[in-house]
Amino acid sequence: MPRRFLTAEDVRRAGAGPIEVGAQTVVTPHARQVAEELGVRLVTGGGDWVPASPDRGPDAEGAQASLPHLPEPEGDGESGSVIVTAVGRNRPGVLAEVTQVLSESGASIADISQRMIEGYFHMVLVVNLSPGTDFASIKERLECLGGPEDYAVNVMHERAFRFMHRV
Amino acid sequence: MSFTEREILETIRMVALETLDIRTTTLGINLLDCADPDLETTCEKVYAKVVQQGAELVSVADSISADYGVPIVNKRIAVTPISWLVGPSGARDLVPVARALDLAAKEVGVDFIGGFSAYVHKGFTRADDALFSSIPGAMAETERVCASVSLGSTRAGINMDAVARFSEVILETADRTASTGGLGCAKLVAFCNAVEDNPFVAGAHIGPGEAETVLNVGVSGPGVVRSALERLGPDVDLLAVAETVKRTAFKVTRMGELVGREAARRLGTTFGIVDVSLAPTPEIGDSVSDILEAIGVDRTGAPGTIAVLALLTDAVKKGGAMASSAVGGLSGAFIPVSEDQGMIEAVADGALSLATLTGMTSVCSVGLDMVAVPGDTPAHVLTGIIADEMAIGMVNQKTTAARLIPVPGKGPGETVEWGGLLGTAIVQDPGSFGADVLHRRGGRIPAPLQGYKN
Repeated sequence: MPRRFLTAEDVRRAGAGPIEVGAQTVVTPHARQVAEELGVRLVTGGGDWVPASPDRGPDAEGAQASLPHLPEPEGDGESGSVIVTAVGRNRPGVLAEVTQVLSESGASIADISQRMIEGYFHMVLVVNLSPGTDFASIKERLECLGGPEDYAVNVMHERAFRFMHRV
Repeated sequence: MSFTEREILETIRMVALETLDIRTTTLGINLLDCADPDLETTCEKVYAKVVQQGAELVSVADSISADYGVPIVNKRIAVTPISWLVGPSGARDLVPVARALDLAAKEVGVDFIGGFSAYVHKGFTRADDALFSSIPGAMAETERVCASVSLGSTRAGINMDAVARFSEVILETADRTASTGGLGCAKLVAFCNAVEDNPFVAGAHIGPGEAETVLNVGVSGPGVVRSALERLGPDVDLLAVAETVKRTAFKVTRMGELVGREAARRLGTTFGIVDVSLAPTPEIGDSVSDILEAIGVDRTGAPGTIAVLALLTDAVKKGGAMASSAVGGLSGAFIPVSEDQGMIEAVADGALSLATLTGMTSVCSVGLDMVAVPGDTPAHVLTGIIADEMAIGMVNQKTTAARLIPVPGKGPGETVEWGGLLGTAIVQDPGSFGADVLHRRGGRIPAPLQGYKN
């Protein structure tokens, strides 16, 4: 039965030989420090011990094995797409600025709508990202567009809307 | 398009203008396996386990926030009540464990860690006794550690020895943190019917029925509810108000459900519960008091306040119940006085008294929360206030809490500024009468008939 913890005291008591620890043993930072000072090797199954990802417990194993074990809200197969909205003062070139960033990122526009009320506009784009696109960087680039007196862009994952508006 | 423009703009408005956010993602970590005959080794294990389990929490929460565009304000950790793992050591001074928790919290970057706790609603173990004695030192010497105690339950009654002892603990904690206006007491709360999966501080901890690790989520959204009610206007009837709150709470809770599922998946743990609570912050517009006033009272604390709060709490629960796979925690509406701009103003205007607040706690989801009292309040008065609060919870089979802060050197009506999320408080007047005999009698108030359910 592998030990649950390896503490500094355990290392001191074990003497000079290598100490066998289980893959899931929590080796305390203090124990690692003492092992280093005393030149004691920590081994797992013959090889050097390396910190493993934490043991989250039996329930977590079950939950992870059965994902997605909760039904997702209904959708029409557009999962993975992104919804970009822009709201602000109307002026020429806004749509071009937004779509330029999208095209540079290799994203394709699946749907677009725009409305104008007394010099102000709002625009909604449903965008499909090409596989491997980094969502965070495209979001940052888009949300940097416009400005306080100009227009504001908001980028959210389609799943957020699906959770809020579909059951 | 799979969504209407109206739906899309509604979501954007909630996030961008109405301060919709996920108030907290709280990782629960069981620490029972850290028990050791040597307290120093217990601390070493506690630190190592919290750091190992909690290492990814902040980065996972931030990545979800970035991916879905929903802000996650706080990342926290809840642990097993510390009194359960220090028994084998026989130690009397448990401040070192609090220090280990504090260091671990700082290492992983969470803002608070809850669980410096004890369950004493029926009696004390040696370890519980040591924990009570160590609370003032722990609150004074650590920054991010929160303490909570269970003093009563519907099944067990109220342990009045523990209530009296806790009053002394509060006063000592205020004294030890006098330089910051008694701020140590803001991290210290007493419960009746404590919940084992509460993701909100100061009462966050992981109870005996919980798994090795679990991810719980606390949603928020007072601003979203208030805006929805303002759009509704004052001319519709209360059924329409309740329906609007319910629908809004549903949508807010769905964001919590999404974040909870995703955070649990990315961390590789289990998704526990969503706590569907309206939790205010001192930020303008993020106020539960504003909602009560939007529903129909001139000022929070005016006659009618308890009725509208009852409607609000119930509607939030009903909306949230359908939106989440598992609702838990406290779930309802919080009324932390110093953290809610509307409540601060209501106290300043003389509309909201301690008596009305106590009445409100019979229908809200928690209790007397962040209530400042004079620094020279005698222990027997605190005992009376806490016992009243515990009795409301015990008889009504609900969770109630008391987070009272005696502010050293301040009297009724004076203001104390704690800053940040804890806000500003005006010291309440507890009156000139106390409960000296009740305080000295001790013993237990037996469980009420409501507790005999088998």
